[in-house]
Amino acid sequence: MTFDTNQLAFYYPMLVLGAAGFIILALGIKRLRSIVYATIAMAAFVVAFILLLMEWYNILPYVASEGMVFNGFGFYFALLFLVASGFITYPALKNIAARSEIFYAMLLFVSVGMIVAAFSYNLITLFISFEAVSIGTYIIAGFHKTKRTLESATKYFFTGTVATAFIIFGLSYFYLSTGTFSLLGHIAVSSTPDMLIALAFLTIGFGFKMAIFPMHQWAIDTYDGTENSVSSFLSTGSKLVAFVIMLKVFIAGFAGLDTYVYVFFAILAVATMTYANISALSQNNLKRLLAYSSVAQAGYLILVLAVVGYAPGTQAADYAIAAGMLYSLVYIFMKGGAFLTMNIIRKDSPSVDDISGLGRKSPGLALAFSIILLSLAGIPLTGGFLAKFFLFLSLVQGGLWWLAVVAILNSAISVFYYFRIMMFMYWRDSKEDSSFDLSVSNRIPVYFSALVVVALFFTFSLFFTILPFAGGVFGGL
Amino acid sequence: MIILGIFIWVLLSALIAIILKDKSSIFTKVSSILTLIAIILYSVLRFSSGYAGGFISQTNIALSKSVGIYFSIGVSGFADALLILTGIIFAAAAFVTDRKLYPSSMFMMIMLTEAGMIGLLISRNFLFFYVFWELVLVPVYFIIGKFGGPRKDGVSLKFFVYTHIASIFMLLSIFALYSYYDLQYKVLTFQMSELLQAMQNATFTSALPEIAKYFILFGFVFAFLVKLPSFPVHAWLADSYEQAPYPGTIILAGALSAMGGYGLFGIIFPFGGLIGTAGLDILVGLGLVSIAYFALTAMFQQSMKRMMAYASAASMGFVTLAFASAFLDPLKSENALIVASGGMFQIATHGIIMLLVFASIYYIMLKTGSDRIPSLGGIYRDAPFLSTLLLGGLLASLGLPGLAGFVGEFSIIVGSFPAIGYWIFFLVFGMLITASYHIWAAQKALYGPYNEKLGKISDIGGAPLAMLLLVFVTILILGVFPVLFFGPIQAYAGGII
Repeated sequence: MTFDTNQLAFYYPMLVLGAAGFIILALGIKRLRSIVYATIAMAAFVVAFILLLMEWYNILPYVASEGMVFNGFGFYFALLFLVASGFITYPALKNIAARSEIFYAMLLFVSVGMIVAAFSYNLITLFISFEAVSIGTYIIAGFHKTKRTLESATKYFFTGTVATAFIIFGLSYFYLSTGTFSLLGHIAVSSTPDMLIALAFLTIGFGFKMAIFPMHQWAIDTYDGTENSVSSFLSTGSKLVAFVIMLKVFIAGFAGLDTYVYVFFAILAVATMTYANISALSQNNLKRLLAYSSVAQAGYLILVLAVVGYAPGTQAADYAIAAGMLYSLVYIFMKGGAFLTMNIIRKDSPSVDDISGLGRKSPGLALAFSIILLSLAGIPLTGGFLAKFFLFLSLVQGGLWWLAVVAILNSAISVFYYFRIMMFMYWRDSKEDSSFDLSVSNRIPVYFSALVVVALFFTFSLFFTILPFAGGVFGGL
Repeated sequence: MIILGIFIWVLLSALIAIILKDKSSIFTKVSSILTLIAIILYSVLRFSSGYAGGFISQTNIALSKSVGIYFSIGVSGFADALLILTGIIFAAAAFVTDRKLYPSSMFMMIMLTEAGMIGLLISRNFLFFYVFWELVLVPVYFIIGKFGGPRKDGVSLKFFVYTHIASIFMLLSIFALYSYYDLQYKVLTFQMSELLQAMQNATFTSALPEIAKYFILFGFVFAFLVKLPSFPVHAWLADSYEQAPYPGTIILAGALSAMGGYGLFGIIFPFGGLIGTAGLDILVGLGLVSIAYFALTAMFQQSMKRMMAYASAASMGFVTLAFASAFLDPLKSENALIVASGGMFQIATHGIIMLLVFASIYYIMLKTGSDRIPSLGGIYRDAPFLSTLLLGGLLASLGLPGLAGFVGEFSIIVGSFPAIGYWIFFLVFGMLITASYHIWAAQKALYGPYNEKLGKISDIGGAPLAMLLLVFVTILILGVFPVLFFGPIQAYAGGII
């Protein structure tokens, strides 16, 4: 194994993020104000973002040694992860008062892990980056120490370690039947029992992190219990890492499996969507409701795997992957924005009733939150609509009519609970006067996400810009 | 370009209406009347002579050429009739919206709905057609949910979800059409002109897998039947009409009910024959059952609003019937032309008639505090003008010759008889029931002994009277000179048949 010095440039973003993390830790001794750490972290994100963009445009795609592939697919997701981390950097300031340097250092280290996950095509590297993300988020989840936060962080930690065990077990079976950890160039994989065991165990392991149906229960408690910006990050950044890894492992690594494997993913997707949507209907706790909706959205993401499994190598498969990529982008803003909106409610565990009267108190904020909810429900003029639009288009193109119908009925069910929130927001009067904290720092993220979500609708061509990168999931260029 | 300007103006008006706060009421009224005048001027300029079917005023603005996403507009004779209807309905809806009762957001919702309606009628790209189709629902959902009656929470949600599910099936059909078009011609496009052209092309349709063909047709027809609404999928209708505030009811009954009809005759009419005899027979059956069943249901309603909601649905049964029998007729051409034009005429005039009826009921509600038939009675004594106008609306609704409602129903009966034969009995039965409960309601509510519990009430005068009279005169003119609408509609239908 040789290390080509040409590829060093590709590691600069990670080096910047890592170095910034250590600087923040070192500065921690001086007990500076939290905003200083946040600004350093933000600066690191911006620098890394620019570096990634420059590499993407200036240097030709490059296959580095040992399973690191720097292609458009990887760059797209690496940028996305930085956006997800940067998105919560400032909003997190509100509740992360004590020892904030650790929080921001961890956020930076997690980002390093996420970027590695975006580029790696080796199961060992993928696993390690995945663990880096997990361990970092275990610590992040424990911040804002109330009893509930600790409980949820503990829950997250224990289920996370179980998931890790499953992944290792699955990896070993993968190695047994293929003789390699690399995901590149597996054409001759066949449906041997070893391979199917690996498939099942890896799905369970990564499925835990992505919170898909039977492995979702921790997510509801954790999203509910943790601080809002942390919930936002867990349900966007860390979930999307799992999504990217699943895309790579199951599409590139298991490329030779029989197409009927799609049934497995179709069932997972349908069960996830339906269960989460129906559970969300009867939820009165607002954060739990959003958590269930987050699980349902994971179900939509899994549809990508079903299409690719059913019609591999077709245009529909490319469409599905690109739709998944677009969905991930919109998802960061709509789901992250929804969780960050919870910051305006003073209560720790808000119920749907607690948002009553927002329409009267702050019409602008209510409108912005409505836009985010409409986007989650997939109503036109929002990015969520466009993402669902292309996802369903790929389902129909691939010939999975029935799955498209089920997905669409699900999206109709979800309208009920999203609209219920809007109903409370506009048509009920608030009980107390001081139930909202309408400070500027709480408003900006909400306005920003709403703006981005609407802007993403008007960029029709974005989907076709990222379409050529969809094939990169196989590790090509 | 004129029509694009009108659309943009309405869209801007919605924005201005919310900014103006206190003045939004007067602004919306002026703006919607200006819109109506502009639409009428446009129609006179473009459709009074020289229109020979097809789409005019076409403009294409490319947004993403490689995938065929254009902001593409075009107006047919039928769409133009509905544009005039839209202008009238929304001007009236803005007029009856009392500025003391509603905040500026209500006026924004009204203008947004109008923008959605106009956008839907002029769109010639499926992506935008679908966007507007859905967009119309959102403001109406807010109108019902925020200002509606006691059961508004559940009803508004039911309205939204019911129609949302239906339109989502249409979206799947559009996808299927898009994919198969790409498969055969290697071109990605959402342009209606090309996709609809392909559906009329025998080589394209015969290459479609059978299941795909029926999937596409089902999605469209289902979405449109829910919007009409037709018999088994009407559950949202009566509740929404009843619980909506009066401006909302006028919009629902006048403008939104035309959406389903526009879908049938404006979108899938060119290839309706693909549905096949069995499917068309089912549609005829649904139309006939709608006419008879809704008439019977309406007869037993106590609330004037609910009664007229079912009456409106029954009139829409004629539209389903007209659509299906246009393709069933063995003689083709002549009869098909009559029945199809009749169906389209019915859609356009039905909205205006419903406007007169619901606006009159609104004023009765204002004067007496009730819109339930048993608690009214003999109000002709104190409010002769109002009662007469409501009677006029009811007579037009039951299809009295000389008024606009008659023309559409008559052409449909005449044109569909060769196709459906003696099944027409259902239709006649429905019309008999319709006539009886309309008259019965008028008799109970307007004439007979005065209900003294109501106290002294006053008649309408001034602006409301003028508005209602104007609507009534429009109905009368369309009844006597149906050619005003019939001309462009027939040219459009003739271009297809």
